[in-house]
Amino acid sequence: MAQTTAQLPTIGPSRVADRRTVVGVAAMLVAVALVVSVGDPGRIAWVRTFFVIFGSLLIQALPFVMLGAFAAALVEVFVPIGVFEKLGVLPRPLQLPAAALAGLAFPICECGSVPVARRLMQRGLMPSAAVTFMLAAPVLNPVVIASTYVAFRGRSTLWTMVGGRFLLGMLVAIAVGWVVGNRTKDQLLKPNPEEEHEHLLELGRPEARWRRFFVHLGNDFLFMGRYLLLGATIAAAIQTFLPTSVLTGVAARPVISVLAMMGLAAALSLCSESDAFVAASFVQFGPAAQLGFLVFGPMVDLKLVALYAGTFRRGFARTVVLVSAVATLVGALWVGVAFG
Amino acid sequence: MSDAILARPGARVVDEPRLPRSWSPTRVAGAVVLGAWAGLFWFLWVTGREALYLSTRTDWIVPVAAALLTAATAGRLASAKVTAPKPIAARELWIMGLMVVPVVLVVFSHPATLGSFSAGKRAGFSGTSFAASAGDIGSGDLTLIDVAAGETSPEGERALAKRAGEPVDFVGFVSIRDDTPADEFLLARYVVTCCVADATIAEVRVVDVTPGQFSNEDWVRVQGTIYPLGREVIVDASEITAVERPDGPYLTP
Repeated sequence: MAQTTAQLPTIGPSRVADRRTVVGVAAMLVAVALVVSVGDPGRIAWVRTFFVIFGSLLIQALPFVMLGAFAAALVEVFVPIGVFEKLGVLPRPLQLPAAALAGLAFPICECGSVPVARRLMQRGLMPSAAVTFMLAAPVLNPVVIASTYVAFRGRSTLWTMVGGRFLLGMLVAIAVGWVVGNRTKDQLLKPNPEEEHEHLLELGRPEARWRRFFVHLGNDFLFMGRYLLLGATIAAAIQTFLPTSVLTGVAARPVISVLAMMGLAAALSLCSESDAFVAASFVQFGPAAQLGFLVFGPMVDLKLVALYAGTFRRGFARTVVLVSAVATLVGALWVGVAFG
Repeated sequence: MSDAILARPGARVVDEPRLPRSWSPTRVAGAVVLGAWAGLFWFLWVTGREALYLSTRTDWIVPVAAALLTAATAGRLASAKVTAPKPIAARELWIMGLMVVPVVLVVFSHPATLGSFSAGKRAGFSGTSFAASAGDIGSGDLTLIDVAAGETSPEGERALAKRAGEPVDFVGFVSIRDDTPADEFLLARYVVTCCVADATIAEVRVVDVTPGQFSNEDWVRVQGTIYPLGREVIVDASEITAVERPDGPYLTP
């Protein structure tokens, strides 16, 4: 027989929300509404700038998180497990490149690829392949290739940037997948208490597919959304206070300029579908530095690190940052020497 | 012997009695957050305020997001009754509340755009890869995007130099820095490709201005004569009039 609410007074060690909690949350929202509408903190220039950038990052990125959650829920509920097992029957050296190239079929940006990769791991795809897919999809997807082409159209470095981004992005994603190696999903993924909760709810009678689809869709959106919120807050603060001119002084130094552009990409936290236009605007920097920006940014930025920290266990974000930074730096410098 | 139950074709299958369902606090709270975000995207679309955050290239995501989030909210609510509802943790409810804060900020704050505060912190717009080719700059009416593109590419610079002495008509906001002479200001406009986070700035120096007539953030229409001087472009103003902020305050290349 189903358990009743009365029999389940607590969830783990957390305090259960009661009427006071609901009133407290509602009061907080009313207070925020009053402060911004009556107090008008937007009169202060830096507050206004922060609000506008923060809002724009969320308004631009959340629909893509939603699309990613939509794709992830479709994968979870409607795609047969055998589809993912097919990757596993490929010869091992081909599994990671195949996972990277699968990004071509999914026009999702980096915010959306995290929930999809998480779901793919949960559905039984090798974690190394899922990680490779997660990092490659935002760089290799057709929309990003097209935007890179448009951004660099008319420049002598057009094909260096388009081809370099595609190939270097794939290689860096494979390198991270290779380092992840044989780690299991339990070693990589953080448990999502809400999901475990949902599984308990399904005891007794399996829920209909459409119900499971919407539950997964909502859970993924809410899970990813909170980390996006954190990342957007940090990115907006940096964009509000850090003059981009600070970084342009280092453009003339080869290694430093690549590192600076990689750092800038991480700080700005732009969507991979738009970052080529920003990279192209840094005309002081050479192709190696711009490539570093275009490859590293979709794999590591402030909002993504927050998403990784929420999705994966401790140490994973560090692995992604270190391996992709080293691989991107080496690859971009080689491109700079060969084609710069 | 197997425990499997075989039903004769055409037999009436009697379903086990349905367990009573009641509202799941977690799912209802999630639906409220989804609904709030759906409401925000509808609000942006209906009021046209998406122009304050996104470029015209990407504003299509607003109605798409509104529709998707509305569907997700409806689906979440429709599946919010469960057989074994569990209470929601207080921490989880506070996090969900925080997820609604940006919605409240956008809906209740006064409409605002990036202003002169960011002007010195933004990279200059590079138009070399956009429509503003040297050919475009060399003919037709000059726009601020043409001028900005001319300031950042050698071909554009040469094309722009040939337009010296021609009349121009620009709309932008006033940006006055510490070193700006009293009879000048910078006429600026942000160029947004995707969202405001990637904004770059296009600006020209306006000279022959009545000192003190305009202040930072004022939106003005400047008519005058253009004089490109290398990478700097000067507009000798013949008429400057205050205007309302345009509905689309950012330029899209």
